[in-house]
Amino acid sequence: MSISLLIAMILASMVTIGRVWLTILFSIVSGWFLAYASIKNRIFENIYVSLIEVFESVPVFSFFPVILIFFVYDIGGSLGVELAVLFLVFTAVVWNIWIGQYQAFKTVPQDLLEVAENYRLKFWGILSKVYIPFSIPRIAANLIPSFADAMFYITVSEVFAVGIHTYQVFGIGTVIANFVASGNYFDALIGVIVIGIFTTVITLLLRDFSKYAVEKYGLDTEITVKKRGRIHFGYTTRLTNSLSYTTKLSKVFPTPVRLRRSVEEEEEKEHRQLWKVSGILTGTIILVLILYGAIRTILSVPPYTWGYLISTIPEDLIAIGVDYLRVAIIAVISLVFAIFVGYYIATHERAEKIVVPIIQAYAALPAPAYFPLLFLVTISFISKIFGPFTNEIYVLFLGFISTFYYVFYSFWMGVKNLPQQYWEIMKNYDLNFLQKLRYIILPGTFPYIIAGMSSTINSAWGGLAIAEYWPNIVQNYNLGVRTGLMKTIDVAIATGNIALASWVSLFFGIIVIIYSIFFTRKLMDLARKKYIAEEGIYLV
Amino acid sequence: MFVFKGVNIAAYDKELIAIVGPSGIGKSTLLRVLGGFVPPKEGEVRLMGKKITRPTPKIALIHQSIATFPWMTALENVKLGLKHRKLPKEEEDKIARKMLELVGLSGFENFYPKQLSGGMRQRIAIARALAAEPIVLLMDEPFSHLDELTAEGLRQEIYQMIFSPETNLRAAVLVSHNLNEVIELSDRIYVLNGSPATVVDVIKIEMERPRDPRDPQFAKYLDELYKSLTPTKKKLNGERKE
Repeated sequence: MSISLLIAMILASMVTIGRVWLTILFSIVSGWFLAYASIKNRIFENIYVSLIEVFESVPVFSFFPVILIFFVYDIGGSLGVELAVLFLVFTAVVWNIWIGQYQAFKTVPQDLLEVAENYRLKFWGILSKVYIPFSIPRIAANLIPSFADAMFYITVSEVFAVGIHTYQVFGIGTVIANFVASGNYFDALIGVIVIGIFTTVITLLLRDFSKYAVEKYGLDTEITVKKRGRIHFGYTTRLTNSLSYTTKLSKVFPTPVRLRRSVEEEEEKEHRQLWKVSGILTGTIILVLILYGAIRTILSVPPYTWGYLISTIPEDLIAIGVDYLRVAIIAVISLVFAIFVGYYIATHERAEKIVVPIIQAYAALPAPAYFPLLFLVTISFISKIFGPFTNEIYVLFLGFISTFYYVFYSFWMGVKNLPQQYWEIMKNYDLNFLQKLRYIILPGTFPYIIAGMSSTINSAWGGLAIAEYWPNIVQNYNLGVRTGLMKTIDVAIATGNIALASWVSLFFGIIVIIYSIFFTRKLMDLARKKYIAEEGIYLV
Repeated sequence: MFVFKGVNIAAYDKELIAIVGPSGIGKSTLLRVLGGFVPPKEGEVRLMGKKITRPTPKIALIHQSIATFPWMTALENVKLGLKHRKLPKEEEDKIARKMLELVGLSGFENFYPKQLSGGMRQRIAIARALAAEPIVLLMDEPFSHLDELTAEGLRQEIYQMIFSPETNLRAAVLVSHNLNEVIELSDRIYVLNGSPATVVDVIKIEMERPRDPRDPQFAKYLDELYKSLTPTKKKLNGERKE
């Protein structure tokens, strides 16, 4: 192991992490403007929020064929591959950040907005002094899981093969994959350690930033938050924010002596009109682009290809059924883990201080990078125990380690956010563990469980996409399954059958969206209607 | 650093005692010490001679911020107070309905808290506490989040509710900063003041119930309370001798 190799690994890690932060920063900055546009214009808001909710429920890997067609083939070259990697990571992190910012903007307390109006803050003033500071704790809370998610997807997307072509960009994912492919496991392990150090340090810094954000920008008193729009529980902190800014504002800006009403009303009207027009325009452009893309794609596929694609539907349905079963197993195991471990650490301060940072740091360590090494160490032992089910166990295990974190984190936060009064009532009436779970903890954390399970299920598809077809994972071992929709997509991409990969991805996307509308969203609506623990505390 | 020191408080049979003091003095913390929720650094809490080391259904707490469970109906909320008794379902149902009737919520059994007013929600919380068959009831400013009319209505009824023959309650402790309220409801008032806080006065209210705030005797007690709450050198470590 030479020093130059170590430096190369450090550089590769920095490049990979740089890509991740580039996409996260782009998501944050664009999210502020989009959230502002959506609160200013109802038409844009409806399109924007609906699109986020749809795209959020589409697993990242179903964007893969789109990425291939648009970036790798249409743009091409190293720029195309680089953009493809960035776009894939972007699709993994952006929805959650955007919806969090939108929700933060929607819940800015009326008092703060009135102060801003009082001092006649213009667009940039109100955005930078009120909306952006108010959204910081929400963004900070989202950064830890978003970073973990981005790391997972970037390490697999830095190198991918389509047919006989292998596309890759420089980064730690590529470096580790190349070491594993050449049987240089020790160097691969060093690579995992290097990226592990980076992700651990960044996760710990993000934890501190999250605490700082809540301390600095969190509301320092109970004030009425006018809730408009849908509450989103994904990785959210409490819906509290920056009252302290009001006092700062009142000190910095002098009270206007006299309001020149007629002129200002006119300005206000023009300002609103501008937002309305630009909102409608942007919303319409987005819809037209989506429609144009869809029609262009449909027309570009010859009829005989359509015939072939449609004939695969029965097989696809079986494959998706099998994969849903795998996802269900992963989700149930993750939920049970979350409930028991999450409850234990949320109620044991010392354990929490140790375990939560470890789990957070572990989640940010990209599973695709270290999984081959784990496979290498355990294969002989696991195959002896599970025999013909060995591959299935590995697939489920990779699904679990790459996804359990989301429901765990969400449930843990739900438990932490239960009102103090509920804990006192549980103690007061001497409820046993199962009674606590049944009557209070599970209903009280229901919205968090649904949000966490939704993310866990979405990420489980990513784990399956990697594990269901992984030729030469180590030492000529092939990890794979007989049937599975993710395998169908993987094989189609690997053999250059982009039409099939796109078709199955589209088919899969539609099923996931239908499932999301009829199942996840229904449960979330129920959670919002009945299971908001904070609403059980009556404060005038 | 002690929040309070040398505090000695006693509640006798069928007695409603009140604890008053300036904001931030530690009234709610003291109530939680009495309920076993916060262990005292020094001293102890005894219920009928038995040391209290942790929360128990025998000492039920009613919160300042009215706490009900939005996913449970009024009846289910009350039943929660009965779970530790492991009763058959029918028995549980019967007692919960009786407690709701006692607090004047008969007919609202299947309503969810969100469908009820703040006053009605607080009645649910009282019914839940009474269903646990407590010996002592701790009330942490139970009317502070209600509008004045609702609070007045509930104040007039609460004494009859908690010391009704239907309950086994032996004593109640009320924490409040509303001086009219404590004179209207209490048998004795402990006044906390200073840092660390101590009991600076104990006032026994000897007026027939219901008490009228326009009664000159009421005004006299009010004056006495105001005097005790203003900074004074007088410190009583314990009860004033009657």
